[in-house]
Amino acid sequence: MRSTRLTASLAVFLLAIVSLVAVGCGSSNDTTGSSSGTGSGGEPLTVGSDIPYPPFEQGKSPNYEGFDIELMEAIGEKIGRTPEFQDTSFETIFRDVAQGKFEAVISAATITEEREKEVAFSDPYYLSEQAILVQEGSDVGGIEDLSGKTVGAQQGTTGLELGKEKADAGELRPYPEGPDAINALKAGTVEAVIIDAPVAQNAVEEEGGVEISEKVPTEESYGIALAKDNTELLEEINKGLEEVISDGTYKTIYEKWFHLEPPKEFLG
Amino acid sequence: MSQFFNQYFNFDVMREHFGEVLVGFLQNLLVFAVAAVLALALGLVLALLRQLPGRKLMPIRFLTIAYIDFFRAVPILIIILMISGGVPFLSFLPQEVRIPHWFGRPDPFWYGVAALVIVYGAFSAEVYRAGIEAVPRGQMEAARSLGMSHFQAMRYVVVPQGVTKIPAPMLNELISLLKDTTLVSVIALSESVLVSREVLSERLNSSSLTLTAIFFVIIILPLARVVDKLIARQQLKVTRGSHIEVA
Repeated sequence: MRSTRLTASLAVFLLAIVSLVAVGCGSSNDTTGSSSGTGSGGEPLTVGSDIPYPPFEQGKSPNYEGFDIELMEAIGEKIGRTPEFQDTSFETIFRDVAQGKFEAVISAATITEEREKEVAFSDPYYLSEQAILVQEGSDVGGIEDLSGKTVGAQQGTTGLELGKEKADAGELRPYPEGPDAINALKAGTVEAVIIDAPVAQNAVEEEGGVEISEKVPTEESYGIALAKDNTELLEEINKGLEEVISDGTYKTIYEKWFHLEPPKEFLG
Repeated sequence: MSQFFNQYFNFDVMREHFGEVLVGFLQNLLVFAVAAVLALALGLVLALLRQLPGRKLMPIRFLTIAYIDFFRAVPILIIILMISGGVPFLSFLPQEVRIPHWFGRPDPFWYGVAALVIVYGAFSAEVYRAGIEAVPRGQMEAARSLGMSHFQAMRYVVVPQGVTKIPAPMLNELISLLKDTTLVSVIALSESVLVSREVLSERLNSSSLTLTAIFFVIIILPLARVVDKLIARQQLKVTRGSHIEVA
């Protein structure tokens, strides 16, 4: 008797979980369904991005926003494809695009020789700088002052590379996401964070308590990554990007997200 | 298929990064060693508090049970993130407690150890409890009737018998603890998984993860065999009826 009652209550419990999951899936399907209808129409274009990385990519699925997101949407409009963004991890992003998990990657990705061995990059769509982010009132004046200090960066990024090569840090900590590193800085467990300048700027404006001690030009630029054999799409995207720059859409998006005028290379 | 093998079984990548991954793995073992000792101690204390007799000590029993239930229910990953993200802001604590660098280990090491001890203390308390409750009631009654206090009876009669019954389940908890040390990678402690993922982003190849898995297997498989042996030995004792003998 007792064991049947136990079995019955277990069954009810499991049923409750299953129905909760079913309801959850149902509602999320609804939202994705409605949002994909609002795009520019045309065939969907699957795009991988490591979200959040404000102001390049941020927001919740499926309403992502940010510089990269809007730029990709503008390009999509030019080439008649509607981008569908997939949140993914940065360290595997190039492998995944090379293997066809998604067609393109826009994720504040610096074009590097190492990466070009695995994937193809579009023309640059952004010129990047790294910033040394520190707590307000820190005595760190620049990268040379990081000697012996505990420094944070995001795993797999050029900020981490820069830390390894140029900063004589006592300890260099690779965090899974950029905001983790910035939180560690605010908590005081790291003394500086090396991260893309716009992300650092965003942290200064949005969160406070931190400041940029130095910007380090890197002669690096961001590109949209594709699988190497996808030359057709690469050409289309390059053409779309060119149009977005020449008709001034690029400038509008740039100013919206960075509160700055874009470099002359990107003025239409 | 060959892509799969290249991605996970590229021996060149394994060879070139063997040293780094090994150093990371030693970090796992160190976290494990410190956390295991402390968690076993905390677990015993919790198990004893849970067994306290009498009405007056009810609140202590209740709080202990609440602690054990709570920390068995919350995912360790959340505890790790909360400690690492929260403790540094507790301004009433001295600096060396908020951001500990004890024994030359970085703060994520200690945050990780703390989270694992908190959670595995709760799990091991339940294992101790199973052992303690498996000791026949008459043992406690006999000890008390000889004039021992509750604490003395626990210390000299019940716990010594109880712990002889639990090495196997406790070892299982410890195996699980060893594997969970990899979770500390999320707060940027350079242990084996973090190092492997660094290699992954640098080489765009996952073989370093396979290598890490191999390290864990090498350590854990013998332990699993020990568990089997212990269970077999326990069975033998029980069938001989010697389980009430004070070890």
